[in-house]
Amino acid sequence: MASKYIALPKGVSEKDFDAAINNFRKVLSDDAVLTSAEQLAPYIKTMMPVADAEHTPSAALLATTVEQIQQIVAICNQYKVPIWMISTGKNLGYGSAAPAERGQVVLDLKRMNRILEVDKDLAFALVEPGVTYQQLYDYIKEHKLGLWLSMPAPSAIAGPVGNTLDRGVGYTPYGEHFLFACGMEVVLANGEVLRTGMGSMPNSNTWQVFKWGYGPYLDGIFTQSNYGIVTKFGFWLMPEPPAFKPFVIQYQHEEDIVEIVETIRPLRISGVIPNAVVIAHALYEAPVKAKRSDYVSGPGSIPDEAVDRIMKDHKLGIWNVYAALYGTQEQIDVNWNIVTQAFGKSGKAKILTEQEAADDPAFVYRAKLMRGEMTLTEFSLYNWRGGGGSMWFAPVSQARGSETLKQMALTKQILAKYGLDYSGEFIVGMRDMHHIVDVLYDKTDPEQTKAAYQCFDELLTEFSARGYGTYRVNTAFMDKVAETYGPVQRKVHKTLKKALDPNGIIAPGKSGIR
Amino acid sequence: MKEIIRNLIVVFGFMPIIIFLATTWVWAAQEDNSASSHRWKDGAEIYTKICAYCHDAQVAPPIRNRKLPLDYIRNIVRNGNRAMPAFRPSEINDESLTKLAEFISHQSSQH
Repeated sequence: MASKYIALPKGVSEKDFDAAINNFRKVLSDDAVLTSAEQLAPYIKTMMPVADAEHTPSAALLATTVEQIQQIVAICNQYKVPIWMISTGKNLGYGSAAPAERGQVVLDLKRMNRILEVDKDLAFALVEPGVTYQQLYDYIKEHKLGLWLSMPAPSAIAGPVGNTLDRGVGYTPYGEHFLFACGMEVVLANGEVLRTGMGSMPNSNTWQVFKWGYGPYLDGIFTQSNYGIVTKFGFWLMPEPPAFKPFVIQYQHEEDIVEIVETIRPLRISGVIPNAVVIAHALYEAPVKAKRSDYVSGPGSIPDEAVDRIMKDHKLGIWNVYAALYGTQEQIDVNWNIVTQAFGKSGKAKILTEQEAADDPAFVYRAKLMRGEMTLTEFSLYNWRGGGGSMWFAPVSQARGSETLKQMALTKQILAKYGLDYSGEFIVGMRDMHHIVDVLYDKTDPEQTKAAYQCFDELLTEFSARGYGTYRVNTAFMDKVAETYGPVQRKVHKTLKKALDPNGIIAPGKSGIR
Repeated sequence: MKEIIRNLIVVFGFMPIIIFLATTWVWAAQEDNSASSHRWKDGAEIYTKICAYCHDAQVAPPIRNRKLPLDYIRNIVRNGNRAMPAFRPSEINDESLTKLAEFISHQSSQH
């Protein structure tokens, strides 16, 4: 007899799942427990090169309160039903709203969308998981709070809780998001509610202003993890600066990136440039201005000659360095002199500000990201190949020029082997550098989809063999990346999991932890 | 609350529940319940704060004033289409989706 469900959790009988679903319905209203194919369709679509069937949920639960979540985990413990938490569900290129494993129940926290507090004086926010950046942005504007957000490229439709818990980044001086997290409320697998840091002390009002509390710092174990369900999240906001000066510096040769990184590093470490500097390759910026089909057709990766033409036609450098200065006009003037002197030394840099680049669509969206304004223009990347396939390849290295060319050469070589283009950028954090490559492919083309999977697998294998660890990965490759960090870390992760979630009900498989 | 306690006792047994609820009550006492949940005002707001960032920004094709069938719009929003992500009922409920579809499909004077 055919099952009434489109998938079942691994190892759970339909009879037990029926019982769990009935209990979920008692906790939530009927229309907040989704099980039909039509209802679950939005939870299935991903951009990964694997069959949707591998990530099809058995149900979705639309919780709205902490108490409901406590009851849900109790039911999950009883029936050994695994749940997969999502907040805004827009972890695009990393797994979207779909669970890590077929049959997991999605615990959808989008309806928990209250902005609980935004403190203008201390510049912090406390929000629930379903709050989007757009919602918080509107709230700050409406209440004239004079605070800026830092958000990733999917800004308006993503949210601070999910992004920070997955250790995502943004483009303002507060762009290393977890660095600015301050206090969480977490429902544990046994139903207890933990408030981290100062939040554990009754009557304390310092939950969102002092990160560490007393004893071992716990917040980190609830990021990229499956040790609990974060239901409230505090983080710091940047006071709106009196002045803001975004700029782009263009270079014409790929090998110039060595000089670029060597120039940026001291400016970043000293704080002259306070935000993460993006060094975007021409092919990362091109989709905002150009169509791939205007330059190349047929299979294979785009040739260098076509990239040269794109650069000339659309006024792009092969490298386009985006950063900004923040502060009073006097501070900016002083730092601008330092920046222009540093980049001007070799004579290779073309420095552009809003004065010259105000009409350039790539500059406009980058400037918005660097001041926390909503924009989804970076999604133009998805038009490059079309077909909705995307995976973010994100190895980390030291912020040294010597790391760049060998990484780029290896990436391009592997991508070319599978007929894919290099849509890459380097992001210089403080002392680290993220090499971010959008592995774009046409998911409607089975051959290209298969090639994209193999390509991504090879990228992970080759980079980890050279000591480049991946900081974040889509749900199809979590086990592989976890393996690259060695057995001891995996064992510690597993030990914590067993202690906090002995039945393994919370997001099994997240970061390779079960 | 009785229903909650009954369910929890079934699952956890009696003793842990006392500790567990005591913990919950501490936090509940601190909770600021004045904050309200977000609700969409109308189709225009949803369009402006989600769809327009791509469909009015040359990232995705224009969709307004094309008399696209309402069911087609609803279907695309729920299922996504190629690079366009799917949107769940927790983000845009069915009632709001109908308003959005009407806004997209009909004349621009509504905007």
